[in-house]
Amino acid sequence: MSQHPDFKKWQELAEKQMKGKSIDTLNWQTPEGITVKPLYTAEDIEGLDSVNSLPGIAPYVRGPMATMYAGRPWTIRQYAGFSTAKESNAFYHKALAAGQKGLSVAFDLATHRGYDSDHPRVAGDIGKAGVAIDSVEDMKILFDGIPLDKMSVSMTMNGAVIPILAGYIVAAEEQGVSHDQLSGTIQNDILKEYLTRNTYIYPPTPSMRIISDIMTFCSENMPKYNTISISGYHMMEAGANSVLQTAFTLADGVEYVKAALKSGMDIDQFAPRLSFFFGIGMNFFMDIAMLRAARFLWFRLMSEYNPKNPKSSMLRTHCQTSGWSLTEQDPYNNIIRTTLEAMTAVLGGTQSLHTNSFDEAIGLPTDFSARIARNTQIIVQEESQVCNVIDPLGGSYYVESLTNEIIDEAQKIIDEIESLGGMAKAIESGMPKMRIEESAARKQARIDQGKDVIVGVNKYKLTDEKIDFEVREVPSSVRDEQIARLVEIKASRDTKLVEKTLNDIKEAAKNGGNLLAAALPAVRARATVGEISDAMESVFGRFVATTRCISGAYSSEYDANPEAINAIKERTTKFLEAQGRRPRLLVTKMGQDGHDRGFKIIASAYADLGFDVDISPMFQTPAEAAKMAVENDVHVVGASSLAAGHKALIPALIEELKKLGGHDIVVVAGGVIPPGDYDFLFKAGVAAVFGPGTPIPDSAGRTLALLEEKFLS
Amino acid sequence: MLITAQDYVLGILAGDRLTLARTITLIESILPIHQQLAREIVDTLLPHTGKSVRVGITGVPGAGKSTYIESFGTMLTQKGHNVAVLAIDPSSTRSGGSILGDKTRMEKLAVNEKAFIRPSPSSGTLGGVGRKTRETMLVCEAAGYDVVIIETVGVGQSETTVASMVDFFLVLMIAGAGDELQGIKKGVLEVADAIVINKSDGDNIHRTKLAQREYETALHMLMPASANWSPPVLTCSSLFSTGIEEIWQTIIKHRDAFTESGEFEQKRKEQALEWMNFLVEDGLRSWFYLNPEVKKLLPDLKSAIALQKLSPTAAADKLLSLLIQVSG
Ligand SMILES: Nc1nc2c(ncn2[C@@H]2O[C@H](COP(=O)(O)OP(=O)(O)O)[C@@H](O)[C@H]2O)c(=O)[nH]1
Ligand SMILES: [Mg+2]
Repeated sequence: MSQHPDFKKWQELAEKQMKGKSIDTLNWQTPEGITVKPLYTAEDIEGLDSVNSLPGIAPYVRGPMATMYAGRPWTIRQYAGFSTAKESNAFYHKALAAGQKGLSVAFDLATHRGYDSDHPRVAGDIGKAGVAIDSVEDMKILFDGIPLDKMSVSMTMNGAVIPILAGYIVAAEEQGVSHDQLSGTIQNDILKEYLTRNTYIYPPTPSMRIISDIMTFCSENMPKYNTISISGYHMMEAGANSVLQTAFTLADGVEYVKAALKSGMDIDQFAPRLSFFFGIGMNFFMDIAMLRAARFLWFRLMSEYNPKNPKSSMLRTHCQTSGWSLTEQDPYNNIIRTTLEAMTAVLGGTQSLHTNSFDEAIGLPTDFSARIARNTQIIVQEESQVCNVIDPLGGSYYVESLTNEIIDEAQKIIDEIESLGGMAKAIESGMPKMRIEESAARKQARIDQGKDVIVGVNKYKLTDEKIDFEVREVPSSVRDEQIARLVEIKASRDTKLVEKTLNDIKEAAKNGGNLLAAALPAVRARATVGEISDAMESVFGRFVATTRCISGAYSSEYDANPEAINAIKERTTKFLEAQGRRPRLLVTKMGQDGHDRGFKIIASAYADLGFDVDISPMFQTPAEAAKMAVENDVHVVGASSLAAGHKALIPALIEELKKLGGHDIVVVAGGVIPPGDYDFLFKAGVAAVFGPGTPIPDSAGRTLALLEEKFLS
Repeated sequence: MLITAQDYVLGILAGDRLTLARTITLIESILPIHQQLAREIVDTLLPHTGKSVRVGITGVPGAGKSTYIESFGTMLTQKGHNVAVLAIDPSSTRSGGSILGDKTRMEKLAVNEKAFIRPSPSSGTLGGVGRKTRETMLVCEAAGYDVVIIETVGVGQSETTVASMVDFFLVLMIAGAGDELQGIKKGVLEVADAIVINKSDGDNIHRTKLAQREYETALHMLMPASANWSPPVLTCSSLFSTGIEEIWQTIIKHRDAFTESGEFEQKRKEQALEWMNFLVEDGLRSWFYLNPEVKKLLPDLKSAIALQKLSPTAAADKLLSLLIQVSG
């Protein structure tokens, strides 16, 4: 088919309405580098491979199941966990009674990194960003009254996968549930941890082996269990655009497939149990197309391995609405954002969904905000009638065309990764991380200039915002409770047996036995998460990340308001002339929170603005951060916090600075900090707090003003 | 508050971390009053300096210098040494700000009580890294650090400057980057006291051994700078801390050989003279370029040369004669 017979006529009409300007001026350049036109026609989808397939049939563009939601809607699966196992368990019971269908467990950062709650390194993290689990005793409390033979349980765990999965299995055993009855998913996606979230423990090679061990064990003993959830979500949250998210996630998937094949498994033995996890942002049609494109690409990529079972090349995914799109300002707007993103995931054909709580940019969800979040998708599912038709956007000229563009663009990146020797090698080379960071810096610059509109942040701002609502606090007594239970467990168990079983884990680590199988007896003997992790660490070592920062991306995208940027550059130069050196800033992340997007954008943008920026290693204690601040003799320390540890960690940092004589070092804080905590931090000596969404020129200007006042006057 | 040079001196001699840090800030400052105070401090401290093992490390970005120092420095602290690391970071942006990320690759050493690490932006200094780094090294010695490691990137002229202020200059290489000798200037090999091929681990071991042989051949063709030392080619893995001890033993051996032959004393004396020469040249240079007449004339002369209206020789003559008038 050629051009629509009336196309010329339409073009004339359109250009007349636009007072003679060409319709090309209406084209929109997406962050992915795709040019989106104002109108799509049948011509645009002519001859595309990805158009006009059927659901449940390869290449699965229209969905992995034949009936999709018309047969059974997606699973409502809210990710939750905080404080102690007991508190989280009570929360789960309430959620299940109110319409939630599956569980999804969030663990605290100490658990993720394989530390018991009594470890000095994690004092600020216990029970904060998830539930604290030290042993199978905690696990049993977590699932108390929840029949594990019926409830599918998803667990977000990547670093300490062995003790946690073993803990879940043993907790089920002690409920009388056998291994083969267990259904659910463990995230177990370590590659993306090296890329974005940093909650790894061991170096890549032993970590990949752990994954193969889990796949082998589960394929033999837990046929209904998804052994991995290959996650793009965290890449999106780190700033990846939709093409990058698609390409890197699928490339991770291919890497796991290769590892499993290498360990001797047959493709059909494990590939049907691979599942995915995508993040859904505010670009409505883009992310609908992204999910459709991902299914096509996965089918094509897996076909190379000639699976016999069609399920082996079928992409099934969980989705979560974006945390990054949520704002601290005018926060009830977040409910609307989440609704739109939920619609995107549904129209894209997700198998399960988490919808975020509107207060997530501020603190941990409360019972109230969790209910609204859950109801957001229940209402879409039960009131809007969208479930009745399968892939309702199939055949849309625009959506099909965009699907095809994403397929092509992502394939290019996947090929590039292949030419580097696969994703593991690509990660070593730093390529994916740099791409994501560049994408993030550009996005931040667009937001700061108002090119990407965020209502309440860079447009239609409230002049005097007074929206008070309750936030959930995790009391510091959680740590004491956990420590008390650890003492109790250690006093009542058979020490000899614990030692023997831990030794067996070390042996398995050294000699290639299955680590999950080796961990089960240790968990039964009440060895702790920390002890089991240590046993493996003694053989594998602990991985240390290299932090690299890109520079120039922020300022090259920030062109709308060069005056704001230049004004700050002039001030940093003035500072240099008056003080003999540039304003020097240490950006640090304390505690076990590994999200480093904000921290890196700050580093690269501030350097662009003329600051000298020191970056600290991840996972610092307050004393370590203070030593570095003093040694590097910085003017100001910026503490980034995204995981609710700020009330313990930042005042401790100020104390440590004083101990070293650094009384005059200014401390500012940024990240997810509830406004209700600002006063507490000011009293502790914090000079400024920058909430999420603070444009960088604003925070830089205010930080600089603090320094000018202190050092130049 | 630290006010007088004496305050600083006492703090440094007492090993106070903050005072040491702030002294380095004075040394690095572009303000003449800071530099003057720094000079006073350094002069007073001179009798307490000179007792460290001074090691310079260079290599292309990504060769693994920071990772090497993490492993090497940690080993030295375990042997009881106090280790200072001065890292010169080239990553400045167009606006002049820098991202200083070395400590993220020296995670253990950064928190080690027996170590002091100071990354410095290299941007915006007239004389390059020379003066600042040397004075910083001296104050670190006075503060009790008995091994001082200077990390510099093997691009530009900074590595020869560093070579001229240390006892042992180590060039870190990686294998398998195509033509082994490409990208590395012959001049660097001439000042190397040892070449170390890093990342000798995993499936890279074979390639490092090959590279080791190639470098050995290349070094054979150079005249050794001293009759008592032919620079060895070693391999190591900074990531897995293998071969690190051997490198330290090599440094010790070099020191012993040079002490015995008298070259150690000789080298330090020569370096002191070189330093004076450097300071004179550096001082002349800044005196010249800061001169208001020169500042005024320079842009015009530059554009005249660009437009080919003036030969470079004529322009230089003009500038220099201007100065002779000024000072005469
Ligand atoms: N395999 C391996 N990688 C290394 C080794 N030393 C450094 N690296 C890696 O090489 C990269 C660059 O190291 P870095 O110390 O930052 O290099 P620098 O730029 O020379 O300071 C990092 O990713 C290191 O992890 C080593 O001995 N073996
Ligand atoms: Mg380095």
